[in-house]
Amino acid sequence: MSTDAWIISGVSVLYLLGCLWVGMRGGKGATDSAVGYVAGDRALGPVLMYFITGATVFSAFSFLATPGLAYTSGAAVFYVLGYGLVGFIPFYFLGPIAAKLGRERGYITQGEMIAGACEHRWLAGTMALVSALSFIPYLALQVKGAGLVVNRLTEGQVPEWLGGAVCYVVVLAYVLKSGVLGVGWTNVFQGVLMMALAWAFGLWLPYKLYGGVGNMFEAIAAAKPEIEGDAATRFLSVPGGRTGQWFVTSGLISMVGFTCWPHLFMKAFSARDDRTLRRTVVFYPTFMVFLVPIFLIGFAGVLFPNPPPNPEQILPHMLMSLDLPALVVGLFCAGALAAGMSTGDAIVHASASILVRDGWITALKRPMSSTAERRAVRILIVILMVASYALAVWYEGDLVRLLLYAYGPVAQFLPGLLVSLLGRRRDGVAVHVGLIVGVVTCVALKYEPSWSPYGVHEGLWGLALNVATLLVVALARGWRPFSPAGGNSARA
Amino acid sequence: MFGTRSKLPHYLFAGHALVAAVCVVGPGYLWWGSNARPFVLGLPWSLVWAILWLISVFVSLLLYEHWTRKCEVERERAEASGKRDP
Repeated sequence: MSTDAWIISGVSVLYLLGCLWVGMRGGKGATDSAVGYVAGDRALGPVLMYFITGATVFSAFSFLATPGLAYTSGAAVFYVLGYGLVGFIPFYFLGPIAAKLGRERGYITQGEMIAGACEHRWLAGTMALVSALSFIPYLALQVKGAGLVVNRLTEGQVPEWLGGAVCYVVVLAYVLKSGVLGVGWTNVFQGVLMMALAWAFGLWLPYKLYGGVGNMFEAIAAAKPEIEGDAATRFLSVPGGRTGQWFVTSGLISMVGFTCWPHLFMKAFSARDDRTLRRTVVFYPTFMVFLVPIFLIGFAGVLFPNPPPNPEQILPHMLMSLDLPALVVGLFCAGALAAGMSTGDAIVHASASILVRDGWITALKRPMSSTAERRAVRILIVILMVASYALAVWYEGDLVRLLLYAYGPVAQFLPGLLVSLLGRRRDGVAVHVGLIVGVVTCVALKYEPSWSPYGVHEGLWGLALNVATLLVVALARGWRPFSPAGGNSARA
Repeated sequence: MFGTRSKLPHYLFAGHALVAAVCVVGPGYLWWGSNARPFVLGLPWSLVWAILWLISVFVSLLLYEHWTRKCEVERERAEASGKRDP
């Protein structure tokens, strides 16, 4: 390896050691129970909650795929800011209701709560399966992103499979040892690092290449003139290089999916109190500002002389082409790894907890002692990590496609979530049948996109059929929405 | 500004959130925020549109939380005085 590759690898290894140290120490103070391991004894304060939600959402997708989308499709990328901005608002209201239920009935996962409220245990099982099937590609995306960054920045000397493997062995170590508190404290460390680096590169690259942000956009507008009414020439105007349907429906499904993500939603059971939960939502937009420099990085690459081999490599490609000191490139590498790992750790921890709590304990009615539950979660963490790693090594498509695949099935949880938290009559069978129809529709349209009319995201078609099925089944089972009694008491 | 029994803050916040959703995720972006020009502080209007909504949503969340907290404090105080004077 060249000296530069050694320095870059050295900075990345230092960062990984830092994560390991923070993550291993993070779990101190938690009780030796399943609630301690999965929900941090319901005692997370505002700082941990802020970073755990913020850094969890900003992933390898934000650091690699977002600049890649800006680079290829221009203003289409702004949908990311849009859905992130409004997607968390429902949590302001739903979070405290869920937390109250959690405290009263001992819930620590979303599926367990919905199944409990609807009195239909199989609902938890289906939700656990859907969550795991959605989480694996999402986790694979983080592993793939980590491998890609390390590979590109070491000029191909560290293969993608090795870079991804090393990073996720570190994640595995601190998640297994410290549970949600390890995830939380590493997210604080990773969140600060990636925000600082995103701003530094987001402002510096336009300055270095164009003389400033304004000059950069003027240069892009001059190089890619837009003709009024000609959609093919759009770049800086929304929806950029994509269609209006793509922009709106991708934003909508991502917004719904964002509200329903089980690993985010279950943090409602981890917060110290309702005020902490509400403040997490209130300050969440300050984390979204971090997307602006990420966009600037992508736009900085638009007129870059030699194109990268893959659009998602635009940022590492620019950094490698600019003859920067290896230390700076190494720092970027650490920032990108932080983005991927801060999401990956939360996902793997949540998905294993969900499979054990919702699938095994709730759906299959196999009660466990707290110690056995902790052990089962840890074993599943290892299995899920291996499965995601295998998918990351095998999958060769683009990262955005992989993320949008994950959002569709998760968005199907919305009707169940609303019925369980806000409904007066909760028909578990109707919610369950609706969920199955929604997920099957979504997956079928994903694999056969020509069946999806009007270019609408398959998750939205799934959601529409999900709600329609829920209503039809509930009505067939005796629900009368306009009767003075408020309907029957159809329960599973 | 608003009494703790007023329902207006709820409606105002919900209405604002709904409008924000239409304007940044829904078709509102394509109707009103899509153009590249004018450039504001060097940024295209299509990006400025999203940033303005971000600021607006943050401010509305701050105000709503402030009001919610005020209601909570008043409720806690009422409960405490109720306990003292049965």
